[in-house]
Amino acid sequence: MSKERIHVGLEIGTTKVCAVVAECGRDGEIRLLGVGESPSRGVRKGEIVDFQNASKCVHDALADAEERSDQEINSVWLAVTGSHLQSFNNRSSISMPEDSEITEKEIGDVEYKAKEISIPKENVILHSIIQRYYVDGQEGVIDPLGMLGAKLEADYHIIHGVMTRIQNTIRCVKEFDIEVDDVVVNSVASAQVVLSDAQKQAGAVVIDIGGGVTDYIVYHDGAVRHSGVIAIGGDHITNDLCIGLRIPITRAEKLKIEEGSAFPGGHPHGEKITLKNDTGFSGKEIDRDMLNMIINARVAELFTILKKRIHEVVPEHLLGAGILLTGGCSMLRGVREVAETIFEAPVSLAHAHSVSGPTSAFENPQLSTCIGLVRYAQAVNADMPEETLIGKFKKLINFNLGL
Amino acid sequence: MSPYPRYQEPAKESVIRLIGIGNAGVNITDRLAMRAALSVHTVALNSDQQSLAASVAAQKLVLGPMTTHGLGAGGDPERAIDAARESLGDLQQVVSGADVVILCGGLGGGTASAIVPLLAKMAKDKGALVSAVVTSPFQFEGRRRTQQAAESLSELVKHADALVHFENDRMAELVEPRADVAETFAACDGLLFQAIGGLVRILGSPGPLPIALNDLLTVLRATKGGCLFGCGESEGANRAHEALEQALRSPLLDRGRLLQEAGKILVHLSGPSSLTFAEVSAVMNGISKSTAAGANLCLGVGTAGDDSAPLIVTIIGRTGVEEKKPCLPPALPIEAKQEASVPVPSLAPPREEMPSAAEPAVPSTKTQKVKQDFLPLEPIARGRFEKSEPTIVEGEDLDVPTFLRLRIKK
Repeated sequence: MSKERIHVGLEIGTTKVCAVVAECGRDGEIRLLGVGESPSRGVRKGEIVDFQNASKCVHDALADAEERSDQEINSVWLAVTGSHLQSFNNRSSISMPEDSEITEKEIGDVEYKAKEISIPKENVILHSIIQRYYVDGQEGVIDPLGMLGAKLEADYHIIHGVMTRIQNTIRCVKEFDIEVDDVVVNSVASAQVVLSDAQKQAGAVVIDIGGGVTDYIVYHDGAVRHSGVIAIGGDHITNDLCIGLRIPITRAEKLKIEEGSAFPGGHPHGEKITLKNDTGFSGKEIDRDMLNMIINARVAELFTILKKRIHEVVPEHLLGAGILLTGGCSMLRGVREVAETIFEAPVSLAHAHSVSGPTSAFENPQLSTCIGLVRYAQAVNADMPEETLIGKFKKLINFNLGL
Repeated sequence: MSPYPRYQEPAKESVIRLIGIGNAGVNITDRLAMRAALSVHTVALNSDQQSLAASVAAQKLVLGPMTTHGLGAGGDPERAIDAARESLGDLQQVVSGADVVILCGGLGGGTASAIVPLLAKMAKDKGALVSAVVTSPFQFEGRRRTQQAAESLSELVKHADALVHFENDRMAELVEPRADVAETFAACDGLLFQAIGGLVRILGSPGPLPIALNDLLTVLRATKGGCLFGCGESEGANRAHEALEQALRSPLLDRGRLLQEAGKILVHLSGPSSLTFAEVSAVMNGISKSTAAGANLCLGVGTAGDDSAPLIVTIIGRTGVEEKKPCLPPALPIEAKQEASVPVPSLAPPREEMPSAAEPAVPSTKTQKVKQDFLPLEPIARGRFEKSEPTIVEGEDLDVPTFLRLRIKK
């Protein structure tokens, strides 16, 4: 029971494949042992489009992680994303014989009923996350186990996606005889290490802007209220620059990282950036105003869409803990400022916390999802799930891998 | 007037006049005129004497013989206007005394671009119900024609009660890529002909279950969304199925997919006296499978006196008609029963000429173009996302750089 367990989180991202090996102590402590990375190929918008190349990258990343952590990897927790993921909230209820005690069985029944909803037949439910219970109409019941009642109701947040697309990601890993413990949606994983319990209670949004997609999840009153994916990411900014400035894609990527800013202003008007010539590229002068305008347009649009979606569920003024940005693209200069002007709420950059290990690893927002996977794994495996930080996740459905 | 039989007043016969304007208009008028059973008074109007000579219209009118010398307006609306000035008296006469005027023509050229809006205004001033069925030119015909068509259309919208507008570009999808030019143009004319014919049938065919003018106008007059049209015709044992298939396959329905988005749909079946209730219900079931759950279906059934007529299924719908769900949403079951038990054909007799039917009123100005608005005006730059699944949010392709889309909007 007190044995420490090793968990591995793997994310096959659009920009890179990351594997995090961590040791989870009984007391909830997580210690990072090693991080393996490999630039990603064959992945577009968070989904695999070139299976051979993608699995090669997965192999490289896992091998790298094994080497750095000195651990053999047998199974991984896998993050999935993609625009096919959808979510909604559903309430279910069961009635029980007069004043009987609520047991595990009743709680299981009510969850089972919550999942009896119609989703497209090619889809499969990935998560059903409890939001709150009601016992005989009494609101705000956190854990009804052992209570008396005649009617048990429960609100669930359900995330579902297209079965075959999820299976492709899984197969990419299984090629190397590595088991997949479970698949976890990106945003759910990121939130585990980015948000503290207090922030979840106060209301917060985690926006994970990656290379190909942006995942977001909204917490309020300690429960997930909304989650989703928009297939827009850092790649889009690069692509916009490539088209708008007429420069090759590799130069556009470099320019974005080295010079780009999402927030216009803060530099002398009319300033130019000189791109040195290179094989097949004759060099060019780039107008900084233009560069930042293009990035700003894209980033502002993304936040505007997110704001609209979030507003439908939880108005901004109820988000006490504000908005937390993570993911590789959150490192782009000015993104936080743009987010602040659009959301009109406090915005901060966030990365994994309450883990120990090399600082460079957990402070890197690109690894939030991977580290989140480990935390998630720990929560699921904890012997007494109620005591873990995220006891509300204890009712996970194990996704049937179907392979 | 035939179109509104259920509430009809003792019926003074309404005079319906179909006026074909310009070469395309005259062609279509001819097609309609040759098709029997449509008792419309047709007028062919052109500045080109040659095309008129070949026409079979009941009345022919050369526009401005002195101005153009019967050689046509040469694609110049100014000249057509000059010609119209010369023949002003004739034009007045053509539109006067009609209760319903249907104008048809291919916008973009000289004559139709100038004369269709002009006649619409004149007819309107005379108190007639004006409807126009027009096409806009192929993209390859050049900017100038496209522009002329657009100007003409915006003028027309002000005067016509109803407007059905098709884009040739879209209709060309009807024909196979290898079809020759004549075939393609013929197919476009054919589609126009079908549209007018469909409307005439809807308003004109005798019971047992007519569609009210009101319903038709609701569908065609909505200000938002695109106009959907599909028509199929078949005879023989499996006619219900075949006609339905044909109708759904119409390119203007995008192979039936657009029906999903239609808020209100009129379905009209016109068939021989042997048309059975089972066939009606089979067709309607087929259609309701393709429509959204909340769509408002209006059914009309007309039967001919004899047994030789083919079964014709006509579908007219409009996307974006909001959820008012006005009159008869559960149209199918209820009306179907009506049809069986309460033949309402009562008013049929006066309608002999109903053909001219009500105006296919698509008010649509800008909207009328089915999905055509999506035709790319210029190559869309998606860069490296060219081959990947597009990210569509609220109808916008987000793979296209934001700054480009913003600029386009401005």
